[in-house]
Amino acid sequence: MTEQALAGVRVVEFTDEVGSYCGRLLADLGAEVIKVEPPGGGRQRNSAPFLAGYEGNPDASLAFWVHNTSKKSVVLDLESEDGRIAARKLALSAEVVLEDNPVGYLAARGLGYADLHAAKPSLVYTSVTGFGQTGPHANWAYTDIVGQAMGGIMTLAGEPADPPNMIYGHQADVSASIQAAQGTLIALLHAEATGQGQLVDVSAQEAISMSQETAMQTWDFQKKNRVRMGGAGGLPIAIPGSGTLKVKDGYIVLYIIAPAGGDLPDLVDWMREEGKAGDLDDEPYKTLIANLNMGWLTQLMSTPEEAAKYIPLLPHVNELISAFFAGKTARQAYEEGQERRLLVGIVSTPKDLAENRQLRERGWYVSLPEAPAGKPVEFPGPPYRLSETPAIITRPPRLGEHTAAVLAALA
Amino acid sequence: MAKRPLEGLRVADFSWFGAGPIAGNTFSTFGAEVIRVESETKVDSLRRVHPFAMNPDGTFKGGYNVSGYFNNFNAGKLSIQLNLNTEKGQEIAYRLIEKCDFFLTNFTPRVIDKWNLHYHQIAKVNPRIIAAYAPMQGMEGPHRDYLGFGAVLTPVTGISEMSGFPHRPPFGVGTNYPDYVINPGHTVTAMLAALRYRNRTGKGQCIELPQLESVVNTLGTAVVEQLANGTNPSRTGNRNPNAAPHGAFRCADDASSVGSPDRWVVIACRDDAEWQRAAAALGHPEAATDPRFATFAARKQNEDELEALINSWTRPIKAEEACATLQAAGVPAGVVQNAQDLLEKDEHIRSRNYYQYVEHPEAGREAHDGPAFHLSETPGYIAGPAPLMGEHTMDVCERIIGLSMDEIADLLADGVLI
Repeated sequence: MTEQALAGVRVVEFTDEVGSYCGRLLADLGAEVIKVEPPGGGRQRNSAPFLAGYEGNPDASLAFWVHNTSKKSVVLDLESEDGRIAARKLALSAEVVLEDNPVGYLAARGLGYADLHAAKPSLVYTSVTGFGQTGPHANWAYTDIVGQAMGGIMTLAGEPADPPNMIYGHQADVSASIQAAQGTLIALLHAEATGQGQLVDVSAQEAISMSQETAMQTWDFQKKNRVRMGGAGGLPIAIPGSGTLKVKDGYIVLYIIAPAGGDLPDLVDWMREEGKAGDLDDEPYKTLIANLNMGWLTQLMSTPEEAAKYIPLLPHVNELISAFFAGKTARQAYEEGQERRLLVGIVSTPKDLAENRQLRERGWYVSLPEAPAGKPVEFPGPPYRLSETPAIITRPPRLGEHTAAVLAALA
Repeated sequence: MAKRPLEGLRVADFSWFGAGPIAGNTFSTFGAEVIRVESETKVDSLRRVHPFAMNPDGTFKGGYNVSGYFNNFNAGKLSIQLNLNTEKGQEIAYRLIEKCDFFLTNFTPRVIDKWNLHYHQIAKVNPRIIAAYAPMQGMEGPHRDYLGFGAVLTPVTGISEMSGFPHRPPFGVGTNYPDYVINPGHTVTAMLAALRYRNRTGKGQCIELPQLESVVNTLGTAVVEQLANGTNPSRTGNRNPNAAPHGAFRCADDASSVGSPDRWVVIACRDDAEWQRAAAALGHPEAATDPRFATFAARKQNEDELEALINSWTRPIKAEEACATLQAAGVPAGVVQNAQDLLEKDEHIRSRNYYQYVEHPEAGREAHDGPAFHLSETPGYIAGPAPLMGEHTMDVCERIIGLSMDEIADLLADGVLI
C-alpha cells in the first residue's frame, strides 16, 4: 500500500461550515482527521440538501458529505466537564488542531491556542473564522454570504439592475479552508523541522479577497471602482463571436474573438459547411469577418466614420451566429467547436458534469458507500493527482461513528 | 525580519496569467526563492493589461512593468528571460530546474510537448524535483487540448450555471473566478504535501492539477445531487436552502462611493431567533410574529414578499449603519464592499494589515494582497515588488545556474535570453 503524503499526522478538528473543507483536504491527503462534533451534529450535518429518502438525517446531508470525506467522527459535549476533558486530551494527542468557532469559544472551554500551545509547544493550531482572531470585527456574526460581500467579490457579479450576486458553493468558506490548508501545511513542516508550533489565523474575508481580480489595484492606481456589468459586459453592443448564447438544450459561451485559437473566419467556414453562412461571404460582411477581433474593434471605436460603416452590420452577424448555434446541443457546440480550435465553452449543468467525457475517461469520479445504508454512490474526485502519494477519498463518517474507538485508544 | 518558513527552497516558476503565478507568489511570500521564467517571444498577457499605474498628469504609464494585475501576483520573484522555443533555451531550463526544489507551470500540454518540459524529461535531470502541472483539462484525456482560461473555466465547471438569478442567462460571475484562490490554493496545498513526503523519503513526484477537476471538487453539492439523487439543480440567486432571509438588500445611495453609488447589505438568518433579532434591529419586531414570516417554512414560502419587505426597511438606511445595527444584534450581515471600501474604509482589514504596500521602480507605490493566512511565529510578507521583465536574467544565469560571463554573452548573441 502506498504511503500518503500526510501519513502519521493527526488532526483534531472542531469545525462546522467554514473550516471543514480544510480538514477534508488534509484527510484525503492521508492525515488522520478526527472531527469532534456536538451531540446531534453541527449546522452542516443538518443542512439541506439530503440524500433522497433521508431528509433530516444527519448522516445523509450532502452539504456535510462534500466537506467531510475521509474523516473520523467523535461526539463530545463541550458544555460538559467530561466532554471538555476528553476533548483536551484528544487535542493534545494531535499534531494539528483545526477549528472555526466564534472567537473565544474554545478558549473559554480550555481548548484555546494559548492553553494547548503551553501544554504542547509543537502544536499547529489553525483557526478559520469569518474575520480572523483580531480586529474590530473579530466577533462579528458570519456566514458564507457575509464573507463574499465583505471580501469584495459580490460587487463584481450580476446585472446592474439586480442585487449583486453571490457565487454558488459557499465560496468564502471554501476559500478560507483552502488558505487554511496551505497555512497549516507550512506551519506543520516548520514544526516538524524545528519543534516550534504556532497559530495559523485565517479570515474568510481576507481569504477570498484575491478573487477581486483587478478591482483592488484599479482603485489603488486609478481611483475607480470596478462594478458588476452583467451579461453585456458593459459593452453597448454585442460583439459577434463573444458572450453567452442560448442553444437547443442550454447555453454556451463564445470567446472566438479572443487571441487564442481560431478566429471568426474559421467559425464562418463551419457555418458554411452546414449551409448556414447566409450572406457572410458577401461584402460588406466578408471584410468585417476577416478583420473582427478585439484589437481591430478598439481601433474602430476611435475612428467614427469607420465605426459608422461597420457597427450597424454587427446585429445581422450576431443573428446568423445565434441561429447557427441554436440548432445544436450545448455539448455538440462545445466539443465540435473545440475540435475546430474555436474558443467555445459549455455552460455545464450538474448533469453535463456528471457525463463530461474528459472527467469520465480520466476516471475522475469515485464510488463510495453512502453513510446511512451503505449503497454505492458516485462522488467527485480530488482536486489533484500526486503520482507517489495520491489523494484517496473515503466515505464521510456517520455522526459519532468513531467515538468509542477513539476514546478507548486515548484512555 | 524574522526568518520565513520556506527559506532555502527554490521554485522554477514556468507559469503565466493567474492560477500558476499566484501559487508561486505564496511561496515567495513565505520565503522561497521564486524564479519566474519569461520571454519576449511569449509575454505574459497580464503584463500588458489594465490596471496600469498612472503618471502625475493623469496618463497611464506604459511598458511591461506597470500592470497592477501582473505585479500583484509576482511579488518578490526574480525574472529571467529565456526563449524556450530554442534548443539552447531548453537546455538552460534544465540547468535551472536542476537547481530547484519545485517546478511549476500552467501552460497547456501542447506547449509542454513543444518545450520538452514533461515530468519524465525534467525528473531525469533532477529526480528530487516536485513538479506541478496545472493545465485546464489535464495532461491526458479526450479534451486535453481544449482551449480556455478562467473566463471559460467558469462556465465549463458549472459555476456559471449555478450562480446568479434564475431569470437571467448564466453569464458568469464577472471575473475569472477560479484563477485566484481555488486553483493556486489547491496547487500549493499539493506541493507542500509533496514536500513533506520528500522530507521523509527523499523522493520527488509529479503533481497534476487539471483546473476542471480542481474547481468541480469545490462546486458545493450540485454534482452530488445529480449523482446521488438524479436531480439537475440550477441557480437560485442569493438564496440558500437553509436560511431565510438570505440575500442582498438595497440601502441608501452613497455618492462618495466612486462610480458605484448603489449600496447593499447582505443579511442571512439561519433560524427563527436570528430572524427575530434582525426584524427588531431594523425597527420592525412585529414582522417576526407575522404568520407569513414567523417560521422558517413560512419565510421560505413567502420569500419574495419577505425580501420586498426587508428592502423597504433598508432602502433609506446607510449600508454601514444597517450592517452595524444587525451585527450588534448578532445577525450575520455585511456590506457589499467595493475596492474603495476595502482599501480606504474597512478599519478591520486595515487593523490586520492585510493589504501591504511596496515601492515598485516603475509603477511607484502599489498595494498588494498580503498573505491570506497569518502565521504567528513565522509570518509571511510581501518581500518586494514584482520583477521588471528580465530584471534578474544575469543574476539567475550566473549565481543560480552557474554560467560563465562568456557563456552568457553567447546566449545573448544567439537570442536565447530574450
